[in-house]
Amino acid sequence: MAGLELKAIQKSYGAVEVIKGVNLEISHGEFVVFVGPSGCGKSTLLRMIAGLEDISAGELWIAGKKCNHVEPRDRGIAMVFQSYALYPHMTVYENFGFGLKLAKTPKDVRDRKIRDAARILQMEHLLDRKPSQLSGGQRQRVAIGRAIVRQPEVFLFDEPLSNLDAALRVDMRMELANLHRDLGSTMIYVTHDQVEAMTLADKIVVLNGGVVQQVGSPIELYQRPENLFVAGFIGSPKMNFTEVTIDSINGGQVTVSGADIQPTELSADTTGLGEGDTVTLGTRPHDLLADASGNISGHVSLVERLGNETNVSLKLRSGATWLVVLDGDRELRHGQELQLGIEDQKAMIFDAAGQARHMA
Amino acid sequence: MANPTSRAYARRSTYPGWFFLPAAIIYGVLFLVPTFASLYFSLTRWSLFSSEFIGLTNFYQFFEEPFLVQGLVNTVIFAMITSGLKVVLGLLLAVLLTSRIALRGYLRSVVFFPVLVSTVGVGITFTVLMHPTQGAINVALELVGIDGPHWLTNPSLALYSVALVDVWKGVGLATVIYIAGLVAIPKDYYEAARIDGSTPTQSFFYITLPLSRPATVTVITLSFIGGLKTFDLIWAMTRGGPGFSSDTIASIIYKQYQAGFYGLSTAGNVVLFVLIALLVVPLTMYLNRREGHE
Ligand SMILES: Nc1ncnc2c1ncn2[C@@H]1O[C@H](COP(=O)(O)OP(=O)(O)O)[C@@H](O)[C@H]1O
Ligand SMILES: [Mg+2]
Repeated sequence: MAGLELKAIQKSYGAVEVIKGVNLEISHGEFVVFVGPSGCGKSTLLRMIAGLEDISAGELWIAGKKCNHVEPRDRGIAMVFQSYALYPHMTVYENFGFGLKLAKTPKDVRDRKIRDAARILQMEHLLDRKPSQLSGGQRQRVAIGRAIVRQPEVFLFDEPLSNLDAALRVDMRMELANLHRDLGSTMIYVTHDQVEAMTLADKIVVLNGGVVQQVGSPIELYQRPENLFVAGFIGSPKMNFTEVTIDSINGGQVTVSGADIQPTELSADTTGLGEGDTVTLGTRPHDLLADASGNISGHVSLVERLGNETNVSLKLRSGATWLVVLDGDRELRHGQELQLGIEDQKAMIFDAAGQARHMA
Repeated sequence: MANPTSRAYARRSTYPGWFFLPAAIIYGVLFLVPTFASLYFSLTRWSLFSSEFIGLTNFYQFFEEPFLVQGLVNTVIFAMITSGLKVVLGLLLAVLLTSRIALRGYLRSVVFFPVLVSTVGVGITFTVLMHPTQGAINVALELVGIDGPHWLTNPSLALYSVALVDVWKGVGLATVIYIAGLVAIPKDYYEAARIDGSTPTQSFFYITLPLSRPATVTVITLSFIGGLKTFDLIWAMTRGGPGFSSDTIASIIYKQYQAGFYGLSTAGNVVLFVLIALLVVPLTMYLNRREGHE
């Protein structure tokens, strides 16, 4: 069983601290996605798990063994690089078999494993090609094949799909999901694309500035983001925010109002909040609806009619622009005034420290 | 999409035709004229002021030169030893100088420095250093109890001693070529290989060596041609001696020239040119054929 445990992992380059104490448990067979903006330390964290980067402080445990100083080949991992890193002078067959050859695996066993992997990826007819003779998608599969052949306990992926075009990316995403189901191995996947994270992950780890912001299932992160960063990062299109003041508190209910919004009652965890406090209200574009008696009003600044839904950019009184996704086709004019309501109180309150105040 | 554009570029040259005139004149005056003139003079008895057409006599005479065969053999041995050693040492030094070591930039300059020094100066310096009894090399060897050989005065050793000095002087250029080749190899390959279980030695043989092949081809070609033409170092250190034991074709030609046989030595140069072409053209064709596979 190959679970992983990261205990207070840190990484510094000289005086610059890039990973600031990450604690994480990954159980066997889980598909975990590290997601966060560019430069937040996702690759660094993954490379420390792979053994390509020294761990400055903290402990890394893989399958119950402390691995801080274990060579990459002895960690039971395989890695797929963003650049694929296929050996250009070797054929696909040799790329697949390089690790086995170094491990002195007998030739017949090696051959069988290579052909098995090629069959899984449906590229048996390409085994004699060199990487330069393959398309981008095919190279991607070779990179994955090279990992499969090693039969690792843990697969590591560093933005593996970012060099593919959009259509191919969707295909490969599904293939990776299937692969995970078929092999049942632990997979750790790095991406800056939250859609990839939402669709692939059992568990998402949101990173920002070298700090874990939240760990949870995709739906948890979408429905109950713990702070402003996660709320803004997960979900597409992005959540809308506006500053509001607390008018009154009544048990688990709080009434807020602000420049952009008439008094509105929401449920929230009100511990420590008081009347007159300034908080941030967040609501997702899909949770707003056109409502003549709604609490929010603004002027239409852009309309995108997609047929099944209509994307509207709305300029609010405070000057903020909100994105609203309305069901069905709407004929809206530029500059027209629009009244909006929030569906089923689906709005979140974030306190001054940026922490979400969900009801328990 | 790239194709039609590049074809259009090929048809319509960027610069007007007369731009190439200066280069053509220089090339014609300094290269074409002397080449054809030397082809002509190799067929004459030539004393600088007068020349008399004598057909292929110079060539017959050149091939009757008593030590020509030994000179030929020496030339090829010299070229093979020096280019072989430059490849091996150049690659090893380049690997060392691209790894994370202290004083890397300084050491790169140190290795390249001999390339900048005059060959004759190097030859004279090493002749002193290689003196059998008072030379620094043998004095140093004696300190550790080794009786140093007679580097330049032992007929079976002289050619090899000069070859070593040539390697010392030329390895910097090979190293620089290899460094350029090595830094162009993406670091990802080494990381992927490490995960595949490759030790540093295995990474060298499976990644570095095959991927630095273009640099190897350049180093072999350059140093092999240089070795076949070699003259100045031999002349500065041994003058082809002792006896004729370290004579190369170029030094034989020079001796004929010194003796006033201009037509004869010009014929020798033509022979040297043909020899280089006969050896180097198939060599580069072989090296480039394998390279084209990548
Ligand atoms: N070798 C290095 N030396 C110094 N800083 C580095 C090095 N590698 C990465 N960093 C820094 O660490 C941070 C995280 O990098 P990385 O893990 O590659 O981010 P991500 O993969 O999330 O985009 C970045 O700010 C980057 O500049
Ligand atoms: Mg990255």
